[in-house]
Amino acid sequence: MIICRNICKTYKHGSNRKQVLNNINLVVERGDRVALLGRNGAGKSTLIKLIGGVEMPTSGKVVRNMAVSWPLGFAGGFQGSLTGYDNARFIARIYQRDYSEIRDFVEDFTELGKQLKTPVKTYSSGMRARLAFALSLAIEFDCYLIDEIILVGDQNFNRKCHYELFEKRRDRTMILASHSPHVIRQLCNRAVIIHNGEASEYNDVNLAVEKYTNL
Amino acid sequence: MASTGLSRLRKGWAIQIRVIHALMIRELTTRFGRENIGFLWIMAEPLLFAGLVAIVWRLMKGTSEHGIGMAAFAVSGYIPITLFRHGVSRSVAAFTANGSLLYHRQIKILDFIIARFIIEVLGGMMAYIFIASILIFFKEFPIPDDIGLFIAGWSIYCLFTFSLCLIIAPLSEMSEAMEKFVPVTTYIMLPFSGLFLMASWLTPKVREYMLLSPFVNAMEMMRKGIWGDQITAYYDPWNPIVCSIVAAAIGLVLCRRVRRTLSIQ
Repeated sequence: MIICRNICKTYKHGSNRKQVLNNINLVVERGDRVALLGRNGAGKSTLIKLIGGVEMPTSGKVVRNMAVSWPLGFAGGFQGSLTGYDNARFIARIYQRDYSEIRDFVEDFTELGKQLKTPVKTYSSGMRARLAFALSLAIEFDCYLIDEIILVGDQNFNRKCHYELFEKRRDRTMILASHSPHVIRQLCNRAVIIHNGEASEYNDVNLAVEKYTNL
Repeated sequence: MASTGLSRLRKGWAIQIRVIHALMIRELTTRFGRENIGFLWIMAEPLLFAGLVAIVWRLMKGTSEHGIGMAAFAVSGYIPITLFRHGVSRSVAAFTANGSLLYHRQIKILDFIIARFIIEVLGGMMAYIFIASILIFFKEFPIPDDIGLFIAGWSIYCLFTFSLCLIIAPLSEMSEAMEKFVPVTTYIMLPFSGLFLMASWLTPKVREYMLLSPFVNAMEMMRKGIWGDQITAYYDPWNPIVCSIVAAAIGLVLCRRVRRTLSIQ
């Protein structure tokens, strides 16, 4: 279970203050697949970062009672100057996993071949996404935080993700930020719309998507 | 309840050790690569710096001053000061430079400072041992008289430098001006680092002020450990220890505050 209690997040740039999230309350039960909807800059990524513990809320509290992945997105989690293999080794070390197992899975899942020996900063965003997904799947989290990334891959990658994440691991919890009504309708059982820093919850995903498209 | 607290502490401790270990390896590979001598480069810089200064001093100022070897004196001053300057400059913007790693919750910002600092300490120690061995071979460096006192001095010096890093790292995230001031400040404090002289060479009045500096106290300990009865040293180990505790307490509070507002790409 993940509980967000009265979360506020304000960013300060010099004398500018911008309140991104205002008093968000959200409970995610085990097995829930929550869609985060919102326009660009609404605070979806911020909320995912707060749930993932990457950034700290200005006030309020996040309680995590299960193993939550790091936010899988375009940025973060990797050191650009290191190779794909080195990053895998680093992650195996800090999550205390067997490197050879992780390496095998990453090689198989990403199909990046020799590219794994080049620095991650030379990767395209699709390639980064493959690596991020491969590593987080190899570590096996109870809850996956996915930030828009699901749509960047090609057909083959989407199919693989779909199989690994939504079929093989269908019992897992998931929090997914996406703009795609199709993906959300297909995968999620709940939705949260973030608008003007406030969150409104919907148990009917179709209704949420409809509301969102009319924003 | 107490036992669960203790076991949680032990578990957290084990995780942090693992993280620091992984960060150190990562740091070494990004900074030095795997080619040629690889991680041995960590001692290259202090070695070159202390070595060249020792040669210059030896040529300019002669073989000895106040009865101690010039080359050895230069080395005993420059290795610690390199540790300090590198430690401090590596702490500047350490959090943003490693920001993307904060995606992994088990990595704490303190781990960045600790990992970088341990690398600098290891580099300094390796360089020290290397250069001292060579100089001892050429009879330019004495066999340390009291190695325990020397190690105590070195440890205290490291402790104080580390506690300063704990302050500088968060401050450099809070204001950009800080970044510009660090090189100047480290340069200006050189005379107060005990690098160029022993306290016993000074008049009692000046000595009193010099001994307020934690660096001077630690430096005197190290030099007393090396030369023993050949020199007179003035030091109070409690000065650097107390200063370290105060600085570390301030630093930890600052780190905690900065972590709350750190925004990560």
